[in-house]
Amino acid sequence: MSDLILDRISKSYGKTQVLSEASIEVKAGETVVVCGPSGAGKTVLLRLVAGVVEPDTGDIRIAGRSVLNVGPERRDVGMAFQNFALYPHLTAFENIASPLRARGLEAGEIKKRVDEISKLLRIEHVLGHTPRELSNGQKQRTSLARSLVRGPGVLLLDDPLRNVDAKLRYEMRLELPRLLRNFGSAVLYVTQDYKEAMALADRIAVLRAGRIEQLAPASAIYDAPESIEVARLFGDPTINLYPIRPEAEGGAAVVRLFGQTWRLPRGREAAIDRDCMLGLRPEDVRIGGDGHPGSVAFELEAVTPLNVRGVLYLRGPAGEELLATVPERDIGQFGRGHRRIWIDLPAEKLHLFDRQSGARIAPAAA
Amino acid sequence: MTQATIAAPAPRHRPRGRVLPYLLSLPALLICIGILIPFATAVWYSMQRYNLAFPMTRGMIWWGNYLDFLSDPSFWNTLKVSIAYMVLTVGVELLLGLGVALLLRRSTVFNNIMSIALMLPLMIAPAIAALMWKLMTNPDFGILSYLVGLVGLHDFKWASAPSTALLTVVLVDVWVYTPFIIILLLAGLRALPTQPFEAADLDGVPRSFVFFRITLPMLMPYIITAVLFRMLDAIQQFDIIYAMTQGGPGDRLMVFQVQAYLDFFQNTNVGRSAALLMILWAITFGLSNLFIKHWLRLRERVHGAR
Amino acid sequence: MSMRKTNPIARALRALALLLVGLFFLFPIFWVLLMSFQTNQDILRIPPSLFFSPTLENFYAIISGKLVTSAGTLEVPFMGNLLNSVILSTASVAVSLLFGVPAAYAFARFRFRLGEDIAFTLLSFRFAPPLLVVLPLALYFQDLGLNNSYLGLVWVYQLISLPLILWIVRGYFEDMSPDIEHAFRIDGHSWFATFMKVSIPLARPGIAAAALLAFIFCWNNFIFALILASADKQPVTVGALAFVTASGIQYGQIAASIVLSIIPTLALALYAQRYLVEGLSLGAVKG
Repeated sequence: MSDLILDRISKSYGKTQVLSEASIEVKAGETVVVCGPSGAGKTVLLRLVAGVVEPDTGDIRIAGRSVLNVGPERRDVGMAFQNFALYPHLTAFENIASPLRARGLEAGEIKKRVDEISKLLRIEHVLGHTPRELSNGQKQRTSLARSLVRGPGVLLLDDPLRNVDAKLRYEMRLELPRLLRNFGSAVLYVTQDYKEAMALADRIAVLRAGRIEQLAPASAIYDAPESIEVARLFGDPTINLYPIRPEAEGGAAVVRLFGQTWRLPRGREAAIDRDCMLGLRPEDVRIGGDGHPGSVAFELEAVTPLNVRGVLYLRGPAGEELLATVPERDIGQFGRGHRRIWIDLPAEKLHLFDRQSGARIAPAAA
Repeated sequence: MTQATIAAPAPRHRPRGRVLPYLLSLPALLICIGILIPFATAVWYSMQRYNLAFPMTRGMIWWGNYLDFLSDPSFWNTLKVSIAYMVLTVGVELLLGLGVALLLRRSTVFNNIMSIALMLPLMIAPAIAALMWKLMTNPDFGILSYLVGLVGLHDFKWASAPSTALLTVVLVDVWVYTPFIIILLLAGLRALPTQPFEAADLDGVPRSFVFFRITLPMLMPYIITAVLFRMLDAIQQFDIIYAMTQGGPGDRLMVFQVQAYLDFFQNTNVGRSAALLMILWAITFGLSNLFIKHWLRLRERVHGAR
Repeated sequence: MSMRKTNPIARALRALALLLVGLFFLFPIFWVLLMSFQTNQDILRIPPSLFFSPTLENFYAIISGKLVTSAGTLEVPFMGNLLNSVILSTASVAVSLLFGVPAAYAFARFRFRLGEDIAFTLLSFRFAPPLLVVLPLALYFQDLGLNNSYLGLVWVYQLISLPLILWIVRGYFEDMSPDIEHAFRIDGHSWFATFMKVSIPLARPGIAAAALLAFIFCWNNFIFALILASADKQPVTVGALAFVTASGIQYGQIAASIVLSIIPTLALALYAQRYLVEGLSLGAVKG
């Protein structure tokens, strides 16, 4: 199959710069998910690869060949749209067959392939219907079938699960990776939902304000976010952030927070005397009820269940806000709030970012 | 991630997709040119003394024709009659049209059939409509002559008498074009949101208040569109008046285009005809600019609401 | 919609008003229709009566083309006028569609300066006095030999039908999401295949509405034909007027010719009234 390379793509509409020097590389068989807030330029990215929009500067290469002057019909690309974009005047069968008819395949072969893919996507029983008669889930799968039926080198998926009900969305999140692996195309997938990104991606490209802030596997993005914004985007509830200024003390870097001094793990000396933001994920907060040395007393204000966790709203000695999560089964012991609990900060889970640039201050190589 | 090895971005020239829109609009462009050339010619003629019967006297007199108009009673008559026609027709059509649209507001079977039936006069050629009314007002057998005779108005001359000619052609115009206003305002009324009216109903607001302070303001875009459309067509009216009386009796109905037509074909005075039409064009251009600006704003509002 | 009790007096007044309005707008059509089935005798009878024995002789005279009067046999070229109307209207609309639909597509999908200029020019000439363009054109046509030709007339009729087609069809294309066309291109079809197999079929209601309106307006046109057509090319609008002057007292035939002139547009309007209303209000408000 084909590799896909986006090389420093820039695109602006009027005064708005939608993409600035975005570069992404997708290998054949790999799924790269472009994740970011709405309006960040994700859909434009897909349309640039598809060829229905031209970049201002930059290059796009499919299978090693630049496709800038190549029309969408010759780029060997398949695309599934967010609002399905099915042909309303054709049946589902004809919708799916369209790429094959464009290639001039003969009728028997077309029927074989359409039946094959629709069986795979479990829509073989509605092939005779027009899009108007299909449910959203069936429309989405028809749209997917159309994009896959030719086995394109590059597959573009524009938030296909957005307009589909929650149950089907979860099902597809499990099914899609398996399906995509079958076909071996280079897949560029776009979504706003970071959980979806983490579930489906081999690598995630975080797109914010037209720039790729980080391109890495999900675990790297979650555990070592390159910027404050990336850290904020991934994680529910959002990461706790505090402005701090590490100091040197006794040969190591320390941080004063919540009226306590915390030792930073080795390798963070670069952060000393710099204005920083300290990031702490809610699930990394260690809760201990008995005030052992090194822990801080927080006022528990409220407890809220969230998915399979409980969120604790805590207020510190100087009024700082802290969100912590605990497993669902432990919610009970906290009651409704309004009591004092002790928390501890695990040093190795602390994230440091430069306050000015937002960039991560990585630990120096040991 | 491997560094991309392309040094400079690809060149900007992209033949694909750039030529297409021009290619597609080429025929339309030709038509455009085919309109602009005669237009330019008319402008040029309007600045000449040009009479087909006296080819030797042809020459440039620049603003001569226009200045002559200022002291020409026939021109002022044309202006007066045209404006009177415009005001009368648009005024009556608006009031009548609004009234009927309000009557047909609710979407019942009867109302819908009625609105379709009322559309029919609009589908008839205005020249032929004038003919129909000419027959109806014929003194010998016309049904209208007969009817007004019954109420004591004997020998009512309709279009043949200077005092009633304007009335007659206005009547024909109202007959043909009120349905246009009805269709437009009805579409507007039916597109209005129901919540303000339901709320007013619940609050027991009196009907007249609802009409003047809620319905009418919301209907304004449609009303303005209808009025501007009609004004532009009315001041240029040719078909009805020409078919009815060719501008007579005397010069009682000499509106712009009828006068210009007769100047050209009867008096072969090309220069004067062109100048008269330029003045008419200036009026309609001003009015239509108003309209197009307003209509574009309306389009933005409709598109922005998506 | 209203929870108030509808006053019976108000209801009666409303019904009366509608009756009067209906009478006003429909009576003339009805009356002329009646007259076309009457002999001259019945027509001139005073007081006029609704009861008479209908005759087809008026229509027969028009259709056969011969009018037998006391003064001899007149040739009635009216059927020729009818044919001219059909030819001119159909050809004009066909040409306008051929030129206008692709242009409307270009204006809707691409933003280019020339497009805005063309659209503005054609739009503003919708409101300009037709004589301003037609009178100089009449002089040009004489030189070009296009005077009294179908070609010349169809060209001039574009002034009526092309802006209409552009206006309505552009709005329609603008309302269509371009994603469907993109999907078809990505599937592997050329731009032209996309235009023919997706864009046009999906815009069919808008195109139909525009074509219908354009046909009716072309059919009803009077001034262009008056100036640029001689007797053998005149459509019914001019022909009916000439007929009146020529045949003087043959009122029954005049009525019959009027009926024949208006039947096509009335029939079209009734058959496709939904498209028409859409076209008229689309054209006027939404654009």
